[in-house]
Amino acid sequence: MKTNFKFWGKLIAIFAIITFLAVLPQSPSVWATDNVVKVGNIIPLSGPSASVGQQGKNAREMAVEEINAAGGIKSLGGAKLEMVYADSESKPEKGVAEAERFINTEKVNVLTGCWNSAVSYPTSAVAERYGIPFIVPVSVADKITEQGFKNVFRIAAKDSWWTRDQFAFLKDMEKEFNTKVEKLAFVYENGDWGKGFAGQWKALAEKGGYKVVLDEPYPSTSTDLSPVVQKIKRARPDVLMLVSNAADAILLTNTLAEYKVKLKAIIASGGGHADPSFLKAAGKNGQYLFDIVEWETDVNKPGAKEANAKYNAKYGSNLTGEAVDAYLAMYVLKDALERAGSLDPAKIRQALATTNLTGGPGMIVGYDAVEFDETGQNKHAALVMVQINDLGKGLERITVWPKSARRGGYKPIFPMPKK
Amino acid sequence: MIYILEDAINGVLMGSIYGLTALGLTLIFGVLKVINFAHGSLLMVGMYAAYWAIILTGVHPYVALIIVAPVMYLFGYYLQDIVIKPIFKAEKDVREPITVIIVTTGVWYILDNLTLLIFGPTYRNIQDNPLKGKMLEIGEMFISVPKLWGFVTAVVTAAAVYWFLQKTRMGRAIRATSLDREAASLMGINQFKVYNVAFGIGTATAGIAAVTLVPFYNIFPSVGVLFDIKGFIIVVLGGLGSIGGAILGGIIIGLIESIAPQFMTATWTEAIVYGLFLVVLFVKPSGLFGVKYDW
Repeated sequence: MKTNFKFWGKLIAIFAIITFLAVLPQSPSVWATDNVVKVGNIIPLSGPSASVGQQGKNAREMAVEEINAAGGIKSLGGAKLEMVYADSESKPEKGVAEAERFINTEKVNVLTGCWNSAVSYPTSAVAERYGIPFIVPVSVADKITEQGFKNVFRIAAKDSWWTRDQFAFLKDMEKEFNTKVEKLAFVYENGDWGKGFAGQWKALAEKGGYKVVLDEPYPSTSTDLSPVVQKIKRARPDVLMLVSNAADAILLTNTLAEYKVKLKAIIASGGGHADPSFLKAAGKNGQYLFDIVEWETDVNKPGAKEANAKYNAKYGSNLTGEAVDAYLAMYVLKDALERAGSLDPAKIRQALATTNLTGGPGMIVGYDAVEFDETGQNKHAALVMVQINDLGKGLERITVWPKSARRGGYKPIFPMPKK
Repeated sequence: MIYILEDAINGVLMGSIYGLTALGLTLIFGVLKVINFAHGSLLMVGMYAAYWAIILTGVHPYVALIIVAPVMYLFGYYLQDIVIKPIFKAEKDVREPITVIIVTTGVWYILDNLTLLIFGPTYRNIQDNPLKGKMLEIGEMFISVPKLWGFVTAVVTAAAVYWFLQKTRMGRAIRATSLDREAASLMGINQFKVYNVAFGIGTATAGIAAVTLVPFYNIFPSVGVLFDIKGFIIVVLGGLGSIGGAILGGIIIGLIESIAPQFMTATWTEAIVYGLFLVVLFVKPSGLFGVKYDW
């Protein structure tokens, strides 16, 4: 009997410690003043996407510091934004659990997150159930805003808009340079990503009145891509569109140059073509190539350069597309809170839904406005096209599209000159 | 028609280089009766060795052979002597020592990750080399000059290895050991010395293959894996242990990879290669050019 008591005593002690530890990290909120807006952020801070998650956190911190330093939310008597973070570890079930905890225990006013589409998707359902506004700075899966939810607001472009913008860019280039493009070739890695893009390209090409002369998937592990390059050469396309991983992007670019394939333009889809080693390894063979990205450090927007310099000084790296979206998200939230003038989630939701943000420190993205459609998708979100060129300082990525974001004084090279 | 000819030439050239990458694999198997899973990693090490030799000295890529081949020989020799031999000795009563295969897998992981640690995941290639991007243009036809050099190197290397095995004393000792290691030991051949030399030569051929690749291919830590899988197929296709079989097996793969995409999408060529691999295993398990008996 005696030993038994000891056992129970220990168990109770362990429970007490566990409970204490569980309560501990939440206790600061008890002391916080009432005059705050609590923002719950669910992002991957460990696991495979940890580095992107950290960028998102840094960008949020920077924006919130600026907002609070500038006097907080004036319509709420100068309320400050208070950030709470949870680590999703890129796991959907973690995201859902943390959203429940944020809403029920932490009593957050707004949720943001989660970068991984697989996490944002189920988490959006939790936010919807409790009626808490959920701002998604960036998670690309189309379906997140296609569930008929009222509380989901996505700032970045969705998946299908990447291909949409590639074609919009091509049309604009044709007009700007008065060059007709008729024949397209699609060459892509044979994974989900490449095939997904190619499927959308086909539909867009048909709509745009282009002729597809080659539709060629290839294994990303290829050790020799000259057979594929031969096919491109023999199909004689005007424009070549690519989806590639790093090794094959370099190999393709070099082989295309070796076989002197004549093209008006090459349009790539990020990934391998955006890999930092691409510029170096492809060298001048990569010159004049167009690539699509979420954001580039040289976008010609007021404040972009300064924000990047500040971020770089603070965190030691350049802003990325993900970080810029997170940064902007905080300003979208601030704008909505100013107009809502209340902490009632329904009022905040209403204010977010009527957002029309066209300026301010947050608008350093490539597009011109934030305005949500009825699904909660930012209507104006668009991607940025860059061209690889050498302006005397070695090869670099230069923003060329949309025109409003084009680097000052740069004229894109289209069609590609003969080498 | 000219297209087919152009593709066939590219296939033969590229295929012979594949064969060269697999040459060491088949040699090491023939002698040690061990599938060397680290072979791709040895090729990768050779590529980095060649890369730095060329970058630091600025010589013509093929001059780097003078440095890379001996360095790789010594690397293979001592890898076998220090890492693999003790395992062999512990398992000396087993004809096909499985644990050695596991050790080579370990070597593969260690080499790949060590390279990743030291050189990072960056994709490198040698921008300013006299072979890069060079093309022989015959009318409409394009033939890659660096691949042509690779083809010549592959044939010469295979012939040299063959001659070495047939004509030299060490070569005969290697062949004797590969036929029957017990009997060879009884004749006074130092079995482990032979293993060291065979592993050294196998690694040196991987180094030579690496030199043929660097003028036109990317160098990165996991590059070996791409050639490894191909190497296994080539070696089984050509016959495990057959020197000529490795080159011919490589050329068959190269031809399929080069010609088939003109009639179907490139992803299908992999299916054809693996299909052929299975058919050969089923119909002629010793490979197309392998010997029926196996000692």
